[in-house]
Amino acid sequence: MLEEQMDILLGILYTILGNENWWGPWIRGVLGLCAMGGMMVAAMFAVWLERKYASDIQSRIGPNRVGGRFGLLQLIADAIKLFTKEDIKPDKVDGPVWAAAPVLMFGSALMMIIAIPFGAFIFNGTTYPLAVTQFDISILYLEAVSAIGIIGIFMAGWGSNNKFAVIAAFRNIARMIGYEVALGMTIISVVIVTGSLNIVDIVNAQGSVVWFAFVMPLGFVVFGVALIADMGRVPFDQNEAEEELIAGWGTEYSGMRFGLAYFAEYIHMVLGSCIAVLIFLGGWNIPGFIVDLNIPLLGLLPVAVFLAKWVLVMMFVIMIRWALPRIRIDQVTSIGWKVLLPLAMVNLVWAVMLGLVWPW
Amino acid sequence: MTDAILDYIPIAVMLILALVIPFVIMFIVKQITPRNPARFKNTTYEGGKDPIGEAQVRFNISYYLLAIVFVLFDVEVLFLYPWAVCYKSSVVLEAIPGFTMVAVVAMTIFLIIALVIGDIYAWKKGAFTWTR
Repeated sequence: MLEEQMDILLGILYTILGNENWWGPWIRGVLGLCAMGGMMVAAMFAVWLERKYASDIQSRIGPNRVGGRFGLLQLIADAIKLFTKEDIKPDKVDGPVWAAAPVLMFGSALMMIIAIPFGAFIFNGTTYPLAVTQFDISILYLEAVSAIGIIGIFMAGWGSNNKFAVIAAFRNIARMIGYEVALGMTIISVVIVTGSLNIVDIVNAQGSVVWFAFVMPLGFVVFGVALIADMGRVPFDQNEAEEELIAGWGTEYSGMRFGLAYFAEYIHMVLGSCIAVLIFLGGWNIPGFIVDLNIPLLGLLPVAVFLAKWVLVMMFVIMIRWALPRIRIDQVTSIGWKVLLPLAMVNLVWAVMLGLVWPW
Repeated sequence: MTDAILDYIPIAVMLILALVIPFVIMFIVKQITPRNPARFKNTTYEGGKDPIGEAQVRFNISYYLLAIVFVLFDVEVLFLYPWAVCYKSSVVLEAIPGFTMVAVVAMTIFLIIALVIGDIYAWKKGAFTWTR
């Protein structure tokens, strides 16, 4: 009975969303809005998680007034506040550049959402990834689109015409470009082993053998460090070091403009952890013997596995923020170029050797 | 239209949405927020004093060097993308048997010359050092 209903539902979904009709892809594009809404909720959840976790680490209580004991609605309240705050435009800012920066940052975060598969579900023994669209170069696309966010941050700092913001923008560029190369080289090492730039293929490749985090431990470590640096999290958040730079590139922003940029940052963090899960931690793959057990709601198990990994990675990233001190900007560049880049090269050699024998 | 093109249509739709949505948000915000510009409120934030000069100064040369090295290495990484996809792809191997070893050797030579020697050169020249 349930199976039949699922069958009908899937049939309808396929006619609407498949490439059968000319309007199918367009509808899927608009469905990106749903993914976007989900992402907003996830980003809000990440902010809430961060505040709660931080307060736990620092032996505080954290948000506990709005929305029950755990302050679950605190972020809704914050969003409403951001929406209704005055949007102050300082006199000396470089108008167009300053106004375009949050739009660029937010837009780049939105563009990333569409290519990421958020888990998968099993139906009739086939696994369907939950992605708005799948295409051959999704990893390359994700890297390219996320790099637009860097330009947004630099525009924010430069357009603000504020000394703190400009210093933050300089530091930001120095940090981002230092780690972008190492990040790109570790991602390419995964591609070399799999021979495909499609994220879904990469996840499936890990299903048949083992997670890439285990076969390329060095690459995983380099990727993790570079990703945290790329997301601008502590210990690599010199661009918004509160003690010296007020609020970094965001000093001259207020109200919803700040909100957009802030949200874009958190979406980048959420999506970054998502990419880490997908390309190094096995994505939604579950061991084969569980599939044979035929437990109820098996079809949704991959999504659950994926979400669990995702939250764990996010919690790890948050934990690092509250456990490590911030390092200096010159140390940041020397770690990026003198440690991570050579390690990424070593990993590249290992990946080529692995790729020649993959899959075993 | 081929299937490959169809997969990119959602991206085009999302591109338009991503361009429109922030503007829509800002438009709504403009309607509902108060607007009270004042002389001191609109000054640049700088610890209470009037800022001296412009903030848009010239770059320190260290940043410039880092940017140049970054462009060099990022282009090299970009060359790796098409290579990684085709060096063991069955389609290519059917057309050119034994392509894999040739590709690996060629890429190794390229990487040693461009990446390793380039990195050592930039390192020795002090591009990654801030104070010298």
